[in-house]
Amino acid sequence: MSIQATSASLAAEPRATYGVRARPVWAALAAPYTLFLLVLLIVPFANVAFFSVHSYSPTKILLPELTLDNFAKLFDLYYLRLFGRTFRLGLITTIVCVVLGYPLAYFLARARPRVLAIGLFLLIMPLMVSTVIRVFGWIVILGRKGLVNEALLALGLEPVKLLYTETAVVIGLVNIFLPFMVLPLMASIERISPSLEEAAQNLGANWRQTFARVILPLSVPGLISGCLLVYSISISAFVTPALLGNSRERMAAQQIYDEVLVSFNWPSASSLAIALVALTLVLTFWALFATRRAGRRERAQ
Amino acid sequence: MSARSSSALLSFVALVYLGLLAPLVVVVAVSFGPSAAFEFPPSGLTLRWFNEFFASGPFVDSFFRVSLLVGLLTSVLATLLGTAAALALVRFRFFGREALETFFLLPLLVPEILLGAALYLLYARLALQASIWTLLCGHLVICTPYVIRSATAGLIGIDPRLEEAAMSLGATRIQAFFRVSLPLLRSSLLSGAIFAFIISFSDINLALFLSGPQSTSLPVHLFSQIQWQGDPTIAAASTLQIAIIGTLILIVQRMFRLRLMV
Repeated sequence: MSIQATSASLAAEPRATYGVRARPVWAALAAPYTLFLLVLLIVPFANVAFFSVHSYSPTKILLPELTLDNFAKLFDLYYLRLFGRTFRLGLITTIVCVVLGYPLAYFLARARPRVLAIGLFLLIMPLMVSTVIRVFGWIVILGRKGLVNEALLALGLEPVKLLYTETAVVIGLVNIFLPFMVLPLMASIERISPSLEEAAQNLGANWRQTFARVILPLSVPGLISGCLLVYSISISAFVTPALLGNSRERMAAQQIYDEVLVSFNWPSASSLAIALVALTLVLTFWALFATRRAGRRERAQ
Repeated sequence: MSARSSSALLSFVALVYLGLLAPLVVVVAVSFGPSAAFEFPPSGLTLRWFNEFFASGPFVDSFFRVSLLVGLLTSVLATLLGTAAALALVRFRFFGREALETFFLLPLLVPEILLGAALYLLYARLALQASIWTLLCGHLVICTPYVIRSATAGLIGIDPRLEEAAMSLGATRIQAFFRVSLPLLRSSLLSGAIFAFIISFSDINLALFLSGPQSTSLPVHLFSQIQWQGDPTIAAASTLQIAIIGTLILIVQRMFRLRLMV
């Protein structure tokens, strides 16, 4: 999930207490989880990489010859369309999250502690509830006889088809990932001293100018990491498009799910997974280093 | 900010929160409504769907015997693994410490659905049957970083000289940690444990791949019920999950900095 929060190197320099001679102790402490991650994170993805360079066989798990066909196949029209749709929905989701999330982040960054506590609870609590439950709520709201259409009928208007459209998918994705935009943005805006805003206003700037010339430029690190985060999570979304979208217009993760569990074409699913995970890691590491760099620059000042 | 623009901001924020909370409000309302169609606003008040929930074998099993059990086990084990890892990161200086720290964050950077698929393919190759144990292993990968995060924040806040003082008074290092630091770490470790539970309890992306027929977790069961257009029992089960998670988040917020956890 989010990567902007604490880390030992961000928060403070570690205080070494036990000295150099105590080396085996840190190794013993770090070893269990390190081993765990090697076996249950690195090995599984190495296995996926292994599958991705082998051919599919309907009778065996895979054929022993090496091939790059699975990756070449990703450039077929079908997969290009799949990627195009996935990236487009991810981009729209990110843009909507910026538009909705920026004012909220600003509000929270400048809120009094009591209001902030309530605001954070209402932001984080829905985030922690299972995706499937929030998506279910949207099915009830957007369905043929849902809240929106009943309201339209009551107003004497025609009902609209919302469920199983891209609009529904975007609504669901924005609803689920909005906090990932708000939290880093809010952290960025909090660091901008309110006295800067007052100074701008005393010098005759209206709020629009203050926003465009003071707040926005100074909140760019938070904006970048929020955007990268929301984009990279939404392009691997599965549950939301599976339940709110049209089964013919799928996103990348749905294709992977089907190839793994329905058509059992594991090599093909693997090449798709490798492509998606590589892209996601590039984006999230970019966000991580942007945050760290901003933090370092701030400490230097 | 002028009064007009700040009231505009306030109404915008209220609308965003309305959209954010709308699905949860609707689900809770549907679970108390009498209609078998998902009716909102409900035309009456009934506990019928909660009775249906407790009468339904698959729902009760997935809620208590899989999700709750795996969540609790994950929470305990992730707290042990994560606290040890955080101690290594905060209290020791060694070559590659920052790299190790990034490595420990890696599970948060990999999309969960892809990790689920990757673990499924590995289990398949090793011919391992899906069970609550395969699910537990997957959840430990994604939940432990939350404990590391809270334990790290807690440890940084404790002056290591306290332990040194205890040791100079004759305590061993282990005694010093358990008697001095651990009590001070209580709220951050408890927050980490609670978050590990929540992440496991509400996870669907890993569980879709790692749940077997005997170990269907609640979110996976809800997913298939929604696909088969079940009745508001779905909403009743969801309401119970919302209530549990809401309470736990409130507890974390009272004793720790909620923002550090997400």
